[in-house]
Amino acid sequence: MDSGFIGLIILLLLLLCAAALLMSRDWRWVMGALGLQYFLAFLLVSSSWPLELAAVKLVAGWMAGAVLALTRMNLAIEPEEATKRLPTSPAFLVLSTFLVLLVVSGAAPALADWARQMSINQAWGGLILIGLGLLQVGLSGSNFRSVVGLLCLLSGFEILYAAVEASLLVAALLGVLNLGVGLAGSYLLQTPGTEQLE
Amino acid sequence: MNSAIIWILLPGLLGIGLLLYRPRDRFPQILAGLLSLFLTWIAWQLPIDVVLNIGPFSFEIFPSLSFFGRSFTLTSAAQPLLTFIYFFQTLWIAGTVVAKPAKPFVPISMICVSLFVAALSVDPFLYAAILIALAILALIPLLSLAGEKVRPGVLRFMIFQIFAVPFILFTGWILSGVEASPGNLDLILRSGLLLLLGFTFLLGLFPFHSWIPMLARESHPYVVGFLLFFLPTISTVFALGFFDRYAWLRESQFVYQILTLIGGLSVLLSGLWAFVERHLGRLLGYAAMMGVGFSLLGIGQGVSQGAQLFFALLLPQSLGLWVLAVSLGSLNNKKVDLSLDGIADAFADSPLTVIGLILAVFSLAGLPLLASFPPRVDLLANLSTSAPWAAIIALLGSLGLAVAGVKLVLAVIRRSSKPQSGWVEEIETEAAAKAGETKDPFAWAFIILAGVGFLGFGLFSRFFLASVPDFASMFPLLFP
Repeated sequence: MDSGFIGLIILLLLLLCAAALLMSRDWRWVMGALGLQYFLAFLLVSSSWPLELAAVKLVAGWMAGAVLALTRMNLAIEPEEATKRLPTSPAFLVLSTFLVLLVVSGAAPALADWARQMSINQAWGGLILIGLGLLQVGLSGSNFRSVVGLLCLLSGFEILYAAVEASLLVAALLGVLNLGVGLAGSYLLQTPGTEQLE
Repeated sequence: MNSAIIWILLPGLLGIGLLLYRPRDRFPQILAGLLSLFLTWIAWQLPIDVVLNIGPFSFEIFPSLSFFGRSFTLTSAAQPLLTFIYFFQTLWIAGTVVAKPAKPFVPISMICVSLFVAALSVDPFLYAAILIALAILALIPLLSLAGEKVRPGVLRFMIFQIFAVPFILFTGWILSGVEASPGNLDLILRSGLLLLLGFTFLLGLFPFHSWIPMLARESHPYVVGFLLFFLPTISTVFALGFFDRYAWLRESQFVYQILTLIGGLSVLLSGLWAFVERHLGRLLGYAAMMGVGFSLLGIGQGVSQGAQLFFALLLPQSLGLWVLAVSLGSLNNKKVDLSLDGIADAFADSPLTVIGLILAVFSLAGLPLLASFPPRVDLLANLSTSAPWAAIIALLGSLGLAVAGVKLVLAVIRRSSKPQSGWVEEIETEAAAKAGETKDPFAWAFIILAGVGFLGFGLFSRFFLASVPDFASMFPLLFP
């Protein structure tokens, strides 16, 4: 599934999704990108895991996204981005994304070379999501964006970990963890607002 | 009957059930408290994997439960730890009578404890990282109450704890490679670094500790106390599992030196921060950080000795944290400002709670006659020969917390000796109204338990520490 031209397309789409998660200001686009990202991650995972096991990740991710989206949709007040400590202009975010890509371009081949079970596309996909998820968590000024960043990061990790560990219990536990992060994020979203970071 | 069903599923299901219980009475506290006490008793008294005959009936507690192709195993070696966990869970539930945290505390704490026990029993043990993260997520509604403003500490805490999961899981995978080729230094270095990062996030060690004081200031002190009691304890026992499992880790002197360095740094920094701190919620956070530092210093003493010192330090540290959390929770519940001045003002109204608070701070600082003193002396004696610099910085750190306790006492004395102004009748009526706590049987029960616990442990430490080898025996290779 993740080899050759199709693999390249999956990676490009994954990069676009992760970049959309980082840059889009409209939560509907963010949730759409998150849903698509889980599908692409499922495609990458399915090359190492049986389809039905890989589907657990897809379903858990979509459920976490759905919980967040439903909560966000039902919020009476538009939550504000609490902090403006770091620049969030599109130019800065594009540059940061390129920086992450630069790091990934160095790390992914080395990782795939070192961990033989991992394909190069899985290494690229996993590291892109981890890098951009980390960036999102670090730059975000709202609970919503932080939680989306965490889900993105976890998704990237799951792509890499799926290549080295194919256990039913791990799939179930990581699925529950994704759902738990989604639920915790949705709980935090329903509260009045976030205070300024120290 | 199966041990996993008894100590994991039963409390977890009870917790979920109690979450649905609506009336605002003490039924959840009583039920969960009784179950915890019962689980403590059977962990203490009933053997696992032995057929027991009671009259015409015979039954056996099986040690392992298969689940999704893996297993949750609680053998007889884990029984001392199970006794400890459920005994303290009983205390945490009992403490809610005085500290009065939010209503879901009891059910959520039961769910968390069941997840923590699941983390200690899951095989392969690496999956514990995910179960610990799930327990952390379950605590979020208590740390940030519904309808209240979300403070940054809770989000940072959640993020840092989730960060720990990938590091630890990847380490496990790399470590299996290290086992296959033990001479591969590259693999050893990578796995060591990932393991260090994972546990630095999990235990809130410097420089990823910032969530501890933030959370300690923002959330209910009793909930934070519960978190800072169970999270480091379970995570450190989980970390000891790595030492027990992997020979190269157990036999590496460099690893013990690193642990001593990190532990010493944690004790020193938390002591210095406690010294300058004026908010007692944050002081609770620093005291917990110091406990983690001492635990690492203990483990850093190497095979056999390390596991024993860790468990010896754990018992008094746990008691100190519980008393400190109950005191702060009670004061917080009375809307007392948790600053030095606020506590000094509260002394007239809540003398028993403030005395408990002061005793807890001094015990956690390791003052003579109190609970933490005997194992700390043992540790410092060991350190003075193996790493004298670590002994000195550990002493300095302890001194920092002790001075924070002295500052608290001075604030109380200064406020008490201040002459009161007003009409005599007014002052007498006010004093009579303020004596409320001395008529509260729960407050008396709490202070008597705290006093007897601290002094009993401090004076008759040999009696309590006799059980330490039983605890350490759950790591047969680490403690041969």
